[in-house]
Amino acid sequence: MKIIRTEKLSKIYNHQSLPVKALNQVNLEFETGEFTAIVGPSGSGKTTFLNMIGGLDKPTEGQIFIGDTEITSLSDSKLIDFRLHNIGFVFQSYNLLPVLTAKENVSFIMLLQKTNPKEMDARAVELLKQVGLEDKMDVRPSKLSGGQQQRVAVARALASKPRFILADEPTANLDTQSAFNLLDIMLRLNKEENITLIFSTHDQRVIDRARRVITLVDGAVDSDEQFER
Amino acid sequence: MKIILTLAWRNLWRNKRRSLITISSVLFAVLLAIVFYSMEQGSYGRMIDSMVKYSTGYIQIQDVFYEDEPSIDNSLLYDDELARLLDGFGNKIAYQVPRLQNFALVATEGQTRGSMVVGIDPEKEQKLNDLSDNLTEGELIKNEDSDILVAEGLAGILNVHTGDTLVLIGQGFQGATAAGKYRIKGIIDLKLPELNNNMIYMSLQAAQWFYMAEDRLTALIVMPENPKETDLLIEELNASIDQDWYRVLGWEEMLKDLLALMSFDMAGTMVMLFILYIVIAFGLFGTILTMIIERQREFAMLLSLGMKRGQLALMCFFETLFISFAGALAGIALAIPVVLWFYYNPIPLTGEMAEAMLDYGFEPIMPFAFDPYVFVSQARIVLIISVLIGLYPVYKMFRLNIMHAKQ
Repeated sequence: MKIIRTEKLSKIYNHQSLPVKALNQVNLEFETGEFTAIVGPSGSGKTTFLNMIGGLDKPTEGQIFIGDTEITSLSDSKLIDFRLHNIGFVFQSYNLLPVLTAKENVSFIMLLQKTNPKEMDARAVELLKQVGLEDKMDVRPSKLSGGQQQRVAVARALASKPRFILADEPTANLDTQSAFNLLDIMLRLNKEENITLIFSTHDQRVIDRARRVITLVDGAVDSDEQFER
Repeated sequence: MKIILTLAWRNLWRNKRRSLITISSVLFAVLLAIVFYSMEQGSYGRMIDSMVKYSTGYIQIQDVFYEDEPSIDNSLLYDDELARLLDGFGNKIAYQVPRLQNFALVATEGQTRGSMVVGIDPEKEQKLNDLSDNLTEGELIKNEDSDILVAEGLAGILNVHTGDTLVLIGQGFQGATAAGKYRIKGIIDLKLPELNNNMIYMSLQAAQWFYMAEDRLTALIVMPENPKETDLLIEELNASIDQDWYRVLGWEEMLKDLLALMSFDMAGTMVMLFILYIVIAFGLFGTILTMIIERQREFAMLLSLGMKRGQLALMCFFETLFISFAGALAGIALAIPVVLWFYYNPIPLTGEMAEAMLDYGFEPIMPFAFDPYVFVSQARIVLIISVLIGLYPVYKMFRLNIMHAKQ
């Protein structure tokens, strides 16, 4: 089932003065359950593309459909609400709330969704178990390693039961072992729970595990390959 | 809402040192403001209280011409009609204190001096100003007495004591000659030098006889049951009294010169407090600004995750409120014992300042007010400042561009 579709998606920065084409007429579709890596050199438009389909930035031209919703026409407040219920994010620098414990960080998104407290608590515990952090639930991020923080971020991204998860270079700040652990967890979630994952990455370890690899060059799709893994 | 409050509170302690410094700056400013304000209000309160107690009372009924020309010829006639009218106010009026006052020369064997001779109802006057507490020698006069009470300052000047006799000579009602010999029954300390060096009290009956002014009063002091309802009582009295003959005056009207002086003086304090609060405001604003700037990525992340701008703005607003309220509450908590100490132990003034106070007729002390308003007023100012400053992060959160903030 198609989950994301972009049509002639373009983004031009400094539109008036010195225009920089970050994305140029990108047409892509993503299916439920994909594990996709978007790769390309620096400045190729990977992060811009992720920001667009994540509803964080508006395109200069083109359309983005998430399911049946064309998100570029949504107002700021509707877009925030849309993100809350449909998209999970994993950032390069974890971006956990430092004043909340691991469990509170995971629960936070469910609080925003006004989830029933009992259900929220149970789900937070379950998700932290899934990422192997059942013994770190009441620990604040400053007491966790980078890999552990990123696993909390993955649990947080899953907490809202999103249609897909966008991960912007999630392994960039991790050591090899932590990166492999994280990838194993994400692959397992993808396979076992059919969670759609879209990465922007330079990391060969991620690329080697992805079943679809889209290469962007100068804001345009250079290649789009599928792999049996 | 709970999570927003929790986040706001915990965020406050992310940078403990900075928060504590900001809280301390608010604390000291509030403490200083309360102490200054309490001192100011204490001084004013003491002045007003002294003047109301020993001089004007809360409300006076006078002859319609008396205020412009304070002469015994413009005294009012306290007749049955006036008495009935005042009785009609029932328990709104706690009690009435009649006075008949005029100037007279007081003479001893070797000295003559001008003085204020006031006819009083000793029992009623006692309720107003606790005359007996100020008695330093002898006894208080009674209604049927023809003896007098002399203020301690005047007694000292005349070098007289209890049991001595003074000769009083003056002009009575409508040009009648007032003269008589009066034995001193007691000496009282009136505290305020202006009064203490001039006053002689005699019973109202004796004064009316002395001034040939039967049933006449220069002022009838009306003490309301509830002083806070003084203005209301004045309105009601004005509505029912014959204004062709009588005039009802409140203490604020009678002491308008003093109040004008106080307002002028208060303006200086207000400027100082204003500067103090400007300093607090900038300190607080600096902290909030830094907090906003260094957390741009976090705000962008929260918006990305789906936190509404309103929720984010509320969180920042609460952070501002918490930091300023923590400082204000700590400042108030610290100010309470300080003000309480000075309330019971007013600062004695010396030198030129003391002389200036004495010249104005007030005790040379710096009393403090321990009134909830002193504390509440400062808390209110801090609240206004924090709400105003808190609006800045609210504005910024609604204008935050996720893409710019992420970088």
